[in-house]
Amino acid sequence: MKGLLALSRAIDRVNELIGRWVSWLILLSILISAVNAIIRKAFNMSSNAWLEAQWYLFGAAFMLAAAYTLKQNDHIRIDIVYGMWSRRKQHWIDLIGHVFFLMPFTLLMVYYFVPYTLRSIRNGEVSTNAGGLIVWPAKAILLAGFTFLALQGISEIIKKIAIMRGDMDDPTPFITAHEAAEQEGKALVEELKS
Amino acid sequence: MIEFIAQNLAPIMFMGLIVFLLFGYPVAFSLAACGLFFFVVGVELAPYSNGAISLSWPLLYALPENFYGNRVMSNDVLLAIPFFTFMGIVLERSGMAEDLLDTVGQLFGPIRGGLAYAVILVGALLAATTGVVAASVIAMGLISLPIMLRYGYDRRVASGVIAASGTLAQIIPPSLVLIVLADQLGRSVGDMYAGAIIPGLVLTGLYMSYILIMTFYRRDSMPALPLEARTLGHGVTSLLIALAAAAAIAYTAHVYLTPTQGANADIWGATVGIIVIYAFAVADKSMGFGLMSRLAQQVIIVLIPPLALIFLVLGTIFLGIATPTEGGAMGAVGALIMAAAKGRLNMEVIKQALASTTRLSAFVMFILIGARVFSLTFYGVNGHIWVEHLLVSTPGGETGFLIVVNILVFLLAFFLDFFELAFIVVPLLAPAADKLGIDLIWFGVLLGINMQTSFMHPPFGFALFYLRSVAARVPYLDKITGKKIEPVTTGQIYWGAVPFVCIQVIMVALTIMFPQMVMHYKGEVVDPGEIEIIVPPFGGGDQPGLPGGLPPLGAPPAVDGGAAAPAPSPAPGTDLSQPPKF
Repeated sequence: MKGLLALSRAIDRVNELIGRWVSWLILLSILISAVNAIIRKAFNMSSNAWLEAQWYLFGAAFMLAAAYTLKQNDHIRIDIVYGMWSRRKQHWIDLIGHVFFLMPFTLLMVYYFVPYTLRSIRNGEVSTNAGGLIVWPAKAILLAGFTFLALQGISEIIKKIAIMRGDMDDPTPFITAHEAAEQEGKALVEELKS
Repeated sequence: MIEFIAQNLAPIMFMGLIVFLLFGYPVAFSLAACGLFFFVVGVELAPYSNGAISLSWPLLYALPENFYGNRVMSNDVLLAIPFFTFMGIVLERSGMAEDLLDTVGQLFGPIRGGLAYAVILVGALLAATTGVVAASVIAMGLISLPIMLRYGYDRRVASGVIAASGTLAQIIPPSLVLIVLADQLGRSVGDMYAGAIIPGLVLTGLYMSYILIMTFYRRDSMPALPLEARTLGHGVTSLLIALAAAAAIAYTAHVYLTPTQGANADIWGATVGIIVIYAFAVADKSMGFGLMSRLAQQVIIVLIPPLALIFLVLGTIFLGIATPTEGGAMGAVGALIMAAAKGRLNMEVIKQALASTTRLSAFVMFILIGARVFSLTFYGVNGHIWVEHLLVSTPGGETGFLIVVNILVFLLAFFLDFFELAFIVVPLLAPAADKLGIDLIWFGVLLGINMQTSFMHPPFGFALFYLRSVAARVPYLDKITGKKIEPVTTGQIYWGAVPFVCIQVIMVALTIMFPQMVMHYKGEVVDPGEIEIIVPPFGGGDQPGLPGGLPPLGAPPAVDGGAAAPAPSPAPGTDLSQPPKF
């Protein structure tokens, strides 16, 4: 169990690092989009490469942050029924979900995206838009996103089992979406007062 | 038995979806798992289905292309989600809402119900700068609610008007709901914005009318501010004179600029007028000339930056200068500049705003990804035909359909939030609506108004919880009057929201009865060269070709009737009209 937990911590750290870092890509995407719009209007110049760069960056941000979002337990659930169970039952639901919902899907996607991305690299596929970007990095981002998500799934399974055996504390205790909303409100109040 | 299951797999799958979602695992992955599970079942049962199931293993290969394609990753429309989210969060940190509430509250305070009008107006203004429901409600709950309680406003009216005004952000452009609906309905975001603007304003007007009626019906429920509370003093005349002067300057500039600027002269004229009056107010305040009343100064200085921002975003979109995505980006930059000008911008604010934006983007886009897996299978078991058949046969034709659908969405909104509704439910409804000849922008605006209720109906509405988090739970001593103020109970918050939920229902009914409120969008002259990038392609003919080299939908003529509708399309490159291959 110790070795597994170490593995889980390593995965968590990597995904946390990535998850925090990729959010800057959104700012970059915003700046590109704004500058691109102004230049297009002012100088009547338009470039497909810059248009495509915007969604490449956004794609990288949301795909690569998905694993971190999973770690933070921030993917939204419908908790009307879930919220009624004991914490123990919720752990079981999470574990079953990780093993039978998350893992098959992410692993299947990794399995499909490897040849899909490789084919694009081999063919040197370029966007069909005039002056567009090369395509494989975008496909590689999808592959990377699902890979990290699968890894995070493994980490979550390890942690869930450890929590249920009592080997570690629960890092993300359950709160209902409404409690979360109230907490968010309180945090915002603190911030505005400071 | 097996034949029965095979031939009715679509309804069974739909029931399965409900079970998968209620299980309580994150929606994104539950959707994907539901899709994959029924895919396997479907492939196994296909031989018994008498042609009702067209699923085969190779279909799964379509998923990578599906995610890469222009419905998910290379989707210019959804790119607006992070842009507007970031803009909204930066603005909420900039203190703009607080300044607006203070100033507009002073402007309207002296009349009965004035603070309530101010809250509604500021709610609408914030909404037009991508208000975030949470932020709007919290700012109002922090600033306006204590003042309302201090001067004896009815608690239910006060909390109701705050919760409801905060949700205006959902329907007044540029709202995320409208972007997602436009994307899912396959219409342009610009049209959706244009269609939503009048219903949004009418709704704002309805809120105000309710307050007006209440001030007559129960005179003491919303007293005017007493004299000592009017900190900005009098000076409405000064404000009116200033506005008249600004209008005169704008008109003069317009006349002078017409020869050189042509059709754009009115915009430039207005810009000049606004800049002059703003510069004048700032100069008057800093130099202490005392030419304007303090009220006029304050109103002009506080109100003009947000109005400029609204113009920067909505103006450029409606004039066809920028796509909604670009409008969002420029708005985000504008919000950064505004926050910086107020000295509220630092590294921590940017980091936090980016982190929240990324988190939201990740879970929203993954719900979309999950929904794509689900719809791949659902189409394969002819689920869209089943739903369409179910809905088209509702009695009462078009109106009957709209009423049924709106009741359905109203009820679902108790449990699902709007992203889930938009990605799961809307694609099922859209083809049926299209088949009945219902304009999809009209349909989208209706759904938008309807989904807005999900924020305010007790006991689940999120706006109520945001308000609960800032409203006093225990009695407190008011700083100004020194009187003891009773707390606001949760029951008061709930009951306060009820009249506004009713107004919302009335608004849905009005929009059904008077579609012209929405339909005027068709009259807008939009430069086709500008909007080509924002129209998600359907039917494959009008798109400059996908980077993947496959046609967007690969839709053959046989499917085209349905696929031309904005529905979740079958997987790219997959021909569902052909007999299934085994």
